[in-house]
Amino acid sequence: MDRREFLKRTAVLGLGGAALLLPRSVRRAFGAGEGLPGLAAVRGGEPGEMFERGVAALGGMERFVKKGQTVVIKPNMSWDVPPERGGNTNPELVERIVRRCLEAGASKVYAFDHTCDLWRNSYRNSGVEEAVKRGGGVVAPADTSGYYQKVPLPGGRALKETAVHELMLECDVFINVPVLKHHGGAGITMGMKNLMGTVWNRGEFHAKGLHQCIADVSLFRKPALTVIDAYRMMTRNGPRGTSERDVTLLKAQILSTDIVAGDAAAARIFGADPKNVSYIRSASEMGIGTMDLESLGVERIAL
Amino acid sequence: MLFLAHFLFRPSESALPLLPSLQVVPSILRWWGGAAVLALGALLAGRVYCSVLCPLGTFQEAVWRAGGRRLSGYAPGSRARYWTLALVLAAGAAGVSAVPALLDPYAAFGRGVTQLLRPPMAGGIDSLAGFLESRGLYGIISRAGRIPFVPGLFWGTAAFFLVLTLWSLRKGRPFCDALCPVGTFLGLFSRSSLLSVRFSGENCTGCGLCGTVCPQRCISVKERKVDADRCVLCLRCVDACPGGELALSFAPPGESLSRRGLLRTAAGFTAALGLTLWSAKKDGTVPAGASSWDEKLPLSPPGSKSRGNFTKKCVACTACVTVCPAGILRPSLGEWGPEGLFQPVLDYGRGYCQYGCTACGDACPTGAIESLEPGEKQLVSIGKARFLRRNCIVRKYGTACGACSEHCPTQAMRMVPFRGNLTIPELDPSICLGCGACEYACPAEPKAVTVSGLTVHGKIRPLSGGGEGPTVAPLEEFPF
Ligand code: SF4
Ligand code: SF4
Repeated sequence: MDRREFLKRTAVLGLGGAALLLPRSVRRAFGAGEGLPGLAAVRGGEPGEMFERGVAALGGMERFVKKGQTVVIKPNMSWDVPPERGGNTNPELVERIVRRCLEAGASKVYAFDHTCDLWRNSYRNSGVEEAVKRGGGVVAPADTSGYYQKVPLPGGRALKETAVHELMLECDVFINVPVLKHHGGAGITMGMKNLMGTVWNRGEFHAKGLHQCIADVSLFRKPALTVIDAYRMMTRNGPRGTSERDVTLLKAQILSTDIVAGDAAAARIFGADPKNVSYIRSASEMGIGTMDLESLGVERIAL
Repeated sequence: MLFLAHFLFRPSESALPLLPSLQVVPSILRWWGGAAVLALGALLAGRVYCSVLCPLGTFQEAVWRAGGRRLSGYAPGSRARYWTLALVLAAGAAGVSAVPALLDPYAAFGRGVTQLLRPPMAGGIDSLAGFLESRGLYGIISRAGRIPFVPGLFWGTAAFFLVLTLWSLRKGRPFCDALCPVGTFLGLFSRSSLLSVRFSGENCTGCGLCGTVCPQRCISVKERKVDADRCVLCLRCVDACPGGELALSFAPPGESLSRRGLLRTAAGFTAALGLTLWSAKKDGTVPAGASSWDEKLPLSPPGSKSRGNFTKKCVACTACVTVCPAGILRPSLGEWGPEGLFQPVLDYGRGYCQYGCTACGDACPTGAIESLEPGEKQLVSIGKARFLRRNCIVRKYGTACGACSEHCPTQAMRMVPFRGNLTIPELDPSICLGCGACEYACPAEPKAVTVSGLTVHGKIRPLSGGGEGPTVAPLEEFPF
């Protein structure tokens, strides 16, 4: 080893050492998730605190949101039912995510949903609209076709194109925040099914084969992070539910960088084998993500 | 102005719930004693309703004043108004609602606002919202809801208001004077009214100024007399009279009991009594639903109780059409028969009745749709769904669907095991509300589920589980 080589090595080592001393947030900004787990499963806490613990295990919010970026959060606020009914994403969770995005430096955080019930009532009565505003975000409407733009879905099997909300095209970061529920038609609804609220032609999904369309639409834009709310889990009469009796207070949450893995984990929590949920199986065959949780690295957290 | 606001914006969200109940036709329809109370009111203070509360009267007067035209003085009252009143009463009694609906000034005004003013206003709001949104400013103002466009109603209303505007510019309050059944009815009593505008003494110089400002043209300077059955107590003449001759005053004892006055009052009381009896009459519709898949009966809004009650009381003012957030109420085009033209009907082509909504009942001035609490409404069945399995996507193509059940608030449409992992809908009519969520959501062509109206609304059995809390079972272990 000559002098030059030696100096080089020490420099590298020194820089490496210095890097280790840097604040975690800066390290993450460089490392972009190298060696960090891809999935965190949390149980036993309140929605907000479970999110904190989960996202910390995945490397903190800064892994997903950089300074100045615009973020779109897609909660489920499709139904005109109050939070206790478990028909929509937990408002407390949504508020916390919006807040963390802004703290991580996001310039703007938007949330929207192409609702099933009337959008005004659903936004309001789900409590999610209020929550987004409390967190400092902006709620965008999604109720007329004018908000949507046609996009191709290369590789789609049942859908070759779709029309997505304009914010999905414009934002820098996309975060998917579904709720885990029973679903009369699809069996279970969670991450990928939630993307049906980002497109205009949702009726077509039912006509063209629900499961395959759900997988196809996930091709368009993979979320940087999927947070599956299983605080209240609707176990029957879904996706709308008829009363609080349809809900189990489960206090769980899945955070995943891979939407398919997130759904596979949530399916297990629901008590189903992901291989038997057609859209999960299709999506993993199409390479949208993986059903193999361990390959991602799983962090299990009990509060 | 208040009425404008009332029809333009949502009455349920505005602070004006009392306004419609002060209207003559609506209050007669809403409550059997309404006619008698109004008759008594007219005996006390004449046709003050016409100048103070009637929105169509106010509209005509505003048009006339904007035009600034002086009127030509006294004109004798037209006979046509008695015929219109008789026609309206007869048609109402015979159940031909279209005639009273057409001639009630309140309803006519309502249609004018919802059909002619609201669409451009909503268009303006929407383009402003669109402009802001294109700059990333969401939620500053929200878009106005769309209401269904029915060409016949639009053009009819437009023609009515065009004629009325031209007529008013020249004649003051021509509708009140020549046609209005409400004004005529009140006029039967106001002739003997306690309070009225009178020539008080010897101050009149015969200048005729009062005649040029009276929109009803009911002051005869020659005879020194005001036609009390036409005077609406706007008091313009009192202001205009330079000598202070005209004044609002109480009738001297005995004066109002002239023979003619008595006759008219008697006629008026007969009419009021008739109205009272008619309004108190229970409607005798027999319960019936559709007998086959092909027969699809029209649906009346929740709270309207039955087809009979609804078509009897609805004046087609379209207040409910404006407030329905789902945009599913539209003026009918024959669904209620030709006699019920433009009385609203539910149309599930554009949406479905929202489970927690009671807006139409809250807006309806006449009691054609009664106001319900959300809890009550959620048990009222306005129709029944019919499921035709052979049209269902699950059966036809063997793929998953369930859009109907997904939307069904009571799970009357629920998914049961089919082949393999598939589930197929099954209908329990006993808990079906007829809300149309399933019909609207069904993506099959032709629809596998459609809703037919009930001629008499029913009640579903209460859903179990309401009020109880969730099962508490925190996750003990991760299953992966
Ligand atoms: S109750 Fe139903 S029909 Fe009446 S306004 Fe509401 S959504 Fe429309
Ligand atoms: S009409 Fe359809 S959606 Fe509505 S309650 Fe009946 S079955 Fe359910």
